[in-house]
Amino acid sequence: MKGYHAFVKKEWMESLRTYRALLLPAVFFLFGMMSPLAAKLMPDIFSGMNMEGVTITVPTPTAIDAYAQLFKNLTQMGIVVLLLVFSGMLSGEIAKGTLIPILTKGLSRNTVILAKYTVSLALWTVSLAVSCASAYGYTSYLFRNAQVEHLLFSVFCLWLFGALLLAFILLAGALVRGGFGGLILTAAFIGILLLANLFPAAEKWNPVSLAAKNMQIIAGTVAVGAMMPAVCLTLAAAVLCLVLSMAVFRKTIL
Amino acid sequence: MEQIMEYLPFLIPLLAVEMILAAAALVHVLKHKNYRFGNRAMWVAIVLLVEIIGPILYFTMGRSDD
Repeated sequence: MKGYHAFVKKEWMESLRTYRALLLPAVFFLFGMMSPLAAKLMPDIFSGMNMEGVTITVPTPTAIDAYAQLFKNLTQMGIVVLLLVFSGMLSGEIAKGTLIPILTKGLSRNTVILAKYTVSLALWTVSLAVSCASAYGYTSYLFRNAQVEHLLFSVFCLWLFGALLLAFILLAGALVRGGFGGLILTAAFIGILLLANLFPAAEKWNPVSLAAKNMQIIAGTVAVGAMMPAVCLTLAAAVLCLVLSMAVFRKTIL
Repeated sequence: MEQIMEYLPFLIPLLAVEMILAAAALVHVLKHKNYRFGNRAMWVAIVLLVEIIGPILYFTMGRSDD
């Protein structure tokens, strides 16, 4: 337990020193702020474009459009930023060899994995919360009737998907050598999930639907109950990834 | 002017985030000698002139590990 506390502290210091703890919330705050603004200004942007007689009529934007922009940004750019920032958290440290001194002094390898997961998950949670809070605030400011249903559940789905990705990054970092191996493997993992979504039978269970159906949840076209298989599977997969990465990392030669 | 007032709640936080990122990156650039690639003048220019993306690029790609 003592080792865990110490290593969490070390991870947190690393996040501060590498500016992860600053970058991630800042970028996600901007996503949250720009999305309602982009939705609000969309008609102006189109009317400002002079396209030789072609007129594009855009319906008056609503709060739903603001959240559509938000989830488009978060599920695309947001996930990319998350991957870039955290992809090296284990593989980078193995490559640099900075883990060897602490591990020889008796810190258990499981603790390393768990502490890294704790800190990265905490950062992801805070960033997502900042993003959604700013999106909610600015949407209420710009639009009347800013209330939408199941917003929290929709955000929770995205959060859970991010939690799975972080667990997988640790597994990939334990499996592959080199700084970029983990990033490529995690990208391949997302690619496989996206491909699996082509089969209607798999869609219900696919973790990636947690980051794809956010708008349908808010719009009410997908019931909360219909997401439960994917939620359960993602939860199980995240735990499995963590357990596997601990098992693999125990045998990794540093 | 009225339009600017309307978007003030956006401009102020946007500027604040930009400033914080640029300042943090600039301090880091000036305090360190080695970068993964490029030189000090290049990174100072990128960090100060490319808003938001510049500091992110520096921290994710330009910053050396030492």
